[in-house]
Amino acid sequence: MQPFSYIRPATPQEAVGAFAQAGEGARFIAGGTTLYDLMKLNIERPRHLIDVSAIEGFNRIETDGDRLRFEANAAMSAVATDPVVARDYPVLAESLWKAASQQLRNMATVGGNLLQRTRCMYFRNGAGGIYPCNKREPGSGCAAIGGLDRGQAVLGTSDTCTAVSPGDWPVALVAMDASIEVLGPNGTRSMPVADLYRLPDTTPHVEFTLDPGEMITAIVVPKTLAGRRSTYHKIRDRESYAFALTSAAVALEMNDDRVERARIALGGVATRPWRAPEAEEVLAGQRLTPELALAAGRAAFRDARPGRHNGFKVELGARTIADALRIAADRSRT
Amino acid sequence: MSATPFADRARIDAFDKVRGATAYAADVPLPGMLHAILVPSRVAKGHLATLPVEDAMRVPGVVRVLTPDDFPPPPEPVRFPNADAPPTLHREIAFRGQPVALVVAETLEAAMEGAEHVVPTYEEQTFAATKRSALAVREEARPTVFGDAEAALARANATVDVEYESPTQHHNPIELISTTAVWAEGRLTIYEGTQFASGLKEVVARILRIDPGIVDVKSPTVGGAFGQKGWVQQQTAIVARAAMLTGRPVKLVTPRGQIFHLAKFRPNSTHRIRLGADADGRMIAAHYVSDQQQSRGGTFPSNYHAGPSRLYGIQNYYGGAVDYRIDTQPPGHMRAPHEHPACFAFECAVDELAYRIGADPVEFRIANDTRVDPQNGRALSSRYLNECLSRGAQRFGWERRTPEPGSMRASDGSLVGWGVASGTYPALVTATVASLRISADGTTRFVTTHHEFGQGIKTAIAAVLLDGLEIDPTRLDIVLGDTTAAPQQITAGSWGTFSVVPTAALAVERMRAALSELLGGRQVSGNIHQQLAAIRRPYLTVDVSQLGPGQEAAALERLRRGQYAIAGPTFPEFTSMSYIAHFIEVRVEPTTRRIRMPRVVSVADCGRVVSPRTAASQVRGGVIWAFGASLREATEVDPRYGGFLNNDLADYVVPVNADIGEIEVDFINEPDLLANSVGVKGLGEVAMVGASAAIANAIFHATGKRLRELPIRIEHLL
Repeated sequence: MQPFSYIRPATPQEAVGAFAQAGEGARFIAGGTTLYDLMKLNIERPRHLIDVSAIEGFNRIETDGDRLRFEANAAMSAVATDPVVARDYPVLAESLWKAASQQLRNMATVGGNLLQRTRCMYFRNGAGGIYPCNKREPGSGCAAIGGLDRGQAVLGTSDTCTAVSPGDWPVALVAMDASIEVLGPNGTRSMPVADLYRLPDTTPHVEFTLDPGEMITAIVVPKTLAGRRSTYHKIRDRESYAFALTSAAVALEMNDDRVERARIALGGVATRPWRAPEAEEVLAGQRLTPELALAAGRAAFRDARPGRHNGFKVELGARTIADALRIAADRSRT
Repeated sequence: MSATPFADRARIDAFDKVRGATAYAADVPLPGMLHAILVPSRVAKGHLATLPVEDAMRVPGVVRVLTPDDFPPPPEPVRFPNADAPPTLHREIAFRGQPVALVVAETLEAAMEGAEHVVPTYEEQTFAATKRSALAVREEARPTVFGDAEAALARANATVDVEYESPTQHHNPIELISTTAVWAEGRLTIYEGTQFASGLKEVVARILRIDPGIVDVKSPTVGGAFGQKGWVQQQTAIVARAAMLTGRPVKLVTPRGQIFHLAKFRPNSTHRIRLGADADGRMIAAHYVSDQQQSRGGTFPSNYHAGPSRLYGIQNYYGGAVDYRIDTQPPGHMRAPHEHPACFAFECAVDELAYRIGADPVEFRIANDTRVDPQNGRALSSRYLNECLSRGAQRFGWERRTPEPGSMRASDGSLVGWGVASGTYPALVTATVASLRISADGTTRFVTTHHEFGQGIKTAIAAVLLDGLEIDPTRLDIVLGDTTAAPQQITAGSWGTFSVVPTAALAVERMRAALSELLGGRQVSGNIHQQLAAIRRPYLTVDVSQLGPGQEAAALERLRRGQYAIAGPTFPEFTSMSYIAHFIEVRVEPTTRRIRMPRVVSVADCGRVVSPRTAASQVRGGVIWAFGASLREATEVDPRYGGFLNNDLADYVVPVNADIGEIEVDFINEPDLLANSVGVKGLGEVAMVGASAAIANAIFHATGKRLRELPIRIEHLL
C-alpha cells in the first residue's frame, strides 16, 4: 500500500501523453483484474495509475473484411460471445471462456490480458523477502528452481527463472498469427503477438518487448478457414477457474483427412506463449491418426527441461496436443 | 422403534442469507471504530532483534502500534490448550506468520500502510518445516489397544500392510477470521465468529489478566467454522488489548493470505495399517500406527483410532499414535478431524483386503458388522451401518458392477470406477441450558447454548419448537453464541444437534405443562400468544438444563465456567456412534486422465433426522469437502523456507461447482432413543468420513492403481 495518483484520460493519445508526463512508476490500468491483485500483494507498487477504461469507443469488435480486430478495451466476455468469433474461431472463444470466472471476464480486457504476469507461487506469495525471485527482485535468485515446481515451465526456461506465462488468450492468438497495434510516445507500430513476449534468459524481470509508455490499442487476427477447425484445449487442476497445467491452441487446414497445415501453440508449459513448429512439421501433409497426433505432441516437447515435480507436463502436454488435434479435426468446416 | 418423521422445512435464516441481510461478527457497526492489521513474522523461527514502530506511527491515521511490550507476562502456570504460548505478541518467534505487532489506525488503508512500515529485524534460528526435517522431534502418544493384534495377524489367512498419507490442509471458510473488541464502561465486549464464545471469554480474560465477569462475547452467525474457529484464536486477545489501550472499538479482519499462517489447520498425517482376515472373511486384527505433524507446544490430540477401531467387529486392535513436533503454528481440528484421514486410510485398506480375498467390497463390510463397541464390549445405542450399505448399494445399482479393475467403460471411452466406503464418527453431547419465553405480543424467544455457523442448528431447534408449540413461526427468535444470553459451550464434533435438540424438546414439554397449569383447565382458543393475551399474562418463561446420558452434574458447572462439558461416545450403559456409507462413481479420461465424479449415493445413520433439508445439505457439503480433500486440496511447504507457500485461494485448490456431479442423500432415520429423548445423533462430521476412501477405491476400480497419498492428481494416473 503506497499512495498513487490516478487519472482517467479520454483518448489513447491522452493516455500515452499522461504516461510520459508521469514518469517513473507509471502504469496503465484497464480492467484491473491483475494489477490491483499484484498491488495488494506488494509486488506492483505504481506511483501513477493511468486508467484507460473510460476511453470511449476503445472496445470495438470488428469482424468485417479479411481480419478480426479487437480494440484493447473489449471485455473478454464480449469477445468470447461475439457471434463471428464464437462460430468461426472457436480457438479464440474457448481460450477466453476457459479463463478466469465470469466476473473476471466481464471486467478484464483483451488488451490487458496480454500483459498478465506469471502465477509462479514464489513470485506472488513471497513479497517481503521470504522467497527470492528474480522477477520480483532482480538478482535475488529463484526459489522455484529446486523447490515446489509442479506448476513451473518445462519449455523456454533459464537458470534464473522457470515461471510459466499464465495466459490462455495469448496462446490462441499466437497460434492464429495475430498481431497487436501499439501506440507510444513515438507514434504507432504493429508487431506479432508472439514477439511481445521475451524469454526469461538472464533478465526474467523484463517480460515484454513494449517500450516504456507504449500501450496496446488493438489485436488483429488474420481471417482463415482454419479457424473453424480449431480448439483451445485446457487441462487444469479443476474443471473451471484455474490456470492451465497444459493447454493447446490448435487450428487445422485439412484436405479430407490429410493435414495441409497445422497451427499449434501451447500454454501452461512454457515461459511465454509457445508456438510449436516441431509439432506442426510432424503433421504437415500427413493423414491425421491418433498415433501421429501423439507423435506431434511429443515433438513439441523434444527440448523440454523438466524440474523436480513437473515432469508430468511433458507427457500430459503431448496428450493435450493430441486430444486438441482430434477435437479440432472433428469440427466441420461449414 | 419409529417416530413420526420431521417435515421438510426451509432454513429459518435462508431469506436473510440470500438477501445479504445476515449479520456476521465483522458486520457490527460501532461508532468511532478503529481498524487493525497484524504484522506477521517473516522468519519461521527466531527472536525479534528490533521492532521499530516510528515509521508506522508517522503514517497519517495510525493511532497506535501494539508490540510484545503491551502485554502482561503470561500467568504461570496456566496452560493454554493447543497453543505454544498465550496467543498474544511475543519476541520469540515459533512459526512463520506469527503476529509480532498490531497496527491500529483510523482507516483500514492507514492500518495496512502502517503495517508495511513495521519492518522488524530477527535473529533467525534453524527450524523444522516438515515431519521429515532433521529437527523434528518424535513423540509417542498413548496407544489404543484391545485384544492382541500381532498374534491375530500371525494366524490370519490374508493380510494387507499398507501406508496412506493425508496432506496438510487449511479450512478456508468464506468468512475471514476477524475480531472486533469494545472496551467501554468497564466491560470488554468481543464480537467474533467463534465456535466457543464462553471459552473465548474465559481465556481472553486470563491472558489479559482481567476478571472474566467483565467480558462478554458475541458470536452471531459464523460464516463457516469447521473447527477453524473452535478455540481461542491467535488474534483475539491482541485485538482486545488494542481496544483497552485505545479506549475505542477496534476491528481486525485478517487477509486471506495471513490466515494460512494464523489459523489452525489439518496436520499432515501418515497411516500405516496392517489388517488380517480369517478364512471366513472376517477381519480379526488391525495394527494401525498413525503419525501427524504437531507444533512444538501444540496439544491437538493424535486421536486417530476412535473411529476405525469401532467401524467393524475387529477383536484385536493396536492403534499407535506418533507426533512429530516441528516449527509451525498449532494444528487443530478440521472437519472430521482424525476420522476423515483415518477412515480414508482404513477404508482403503479394507478395500485392499476385500480384493485380496476376492470378496465384494460391500458384502465384505456387511459381513464384518458388530453389535457391540469392540473397545469395551458395551452395547451400541444404535447401529444401522449395514442398512446404510444395503440401501446405498441398491440405490446406486451396485449389482451392475463388475469387480475387475478397469473392466467398466463409459461410451466416451472413459474408465469407470465404482467405489464404496463406510464412515463413523462418535456421537457426542454437551451439557446445555435453555430459556424459552413465549409472549402475548406474538413473539417467542429461545435462548440456549451453542452456535450457528451455517450447519442449520437454528432450523433444527425451530423444527422442534414449531412441532410442539402453537406459536407464530415468523416471530421466533433463536439466540445462540452469546455469553450475555446463556453460557456457551464449544459447538463442534457434531454434538450441536444432539445437545440442543433434546433440550429444546424438554423446554417444549415444560412449556406445555406450565401453560396447562396456568390455564387450569380453562378452554382458551387461539395459539399460545393468543391464549396468554386472553388470560392477561404478558409472557410465560421456562428454564431448562440438560446433561448427556449418565453425564455428571458437575458438567453444568463447567459449562457455566466456559470449560469443556462434553460426554461420549462411551456412556455408562452404551456407546453411541453415527454411521454413513458412500457409493461413488469416478470416470477417468482415457488420454489426459482427468478424474471426474459424476455420481454419489450417501446413506447416513444419524438417528432421527430433525431437519431434513439442512441434514441433506450437510451430507452434500461433506461429500464435496471429501472430494476436495482427496482430489484437490494440499497446503504446500517448501522445507528450505518453512511456512505455507500456496497461501491464497488461487493456489490452494478447492473444488468448484463444475467439479461436482449428482449427490443423492438418504437417511435411515431410525431414532436412537437411548441417546436422547428425540433420538438424534450427530451428522456434520460423519457426512464426509469415508467419502475420500470411496473416491480412492473407485479410482482403483477404474484404473487398477492404488493411490495411497492425497491429493490424487492427474500426474498420478498418467
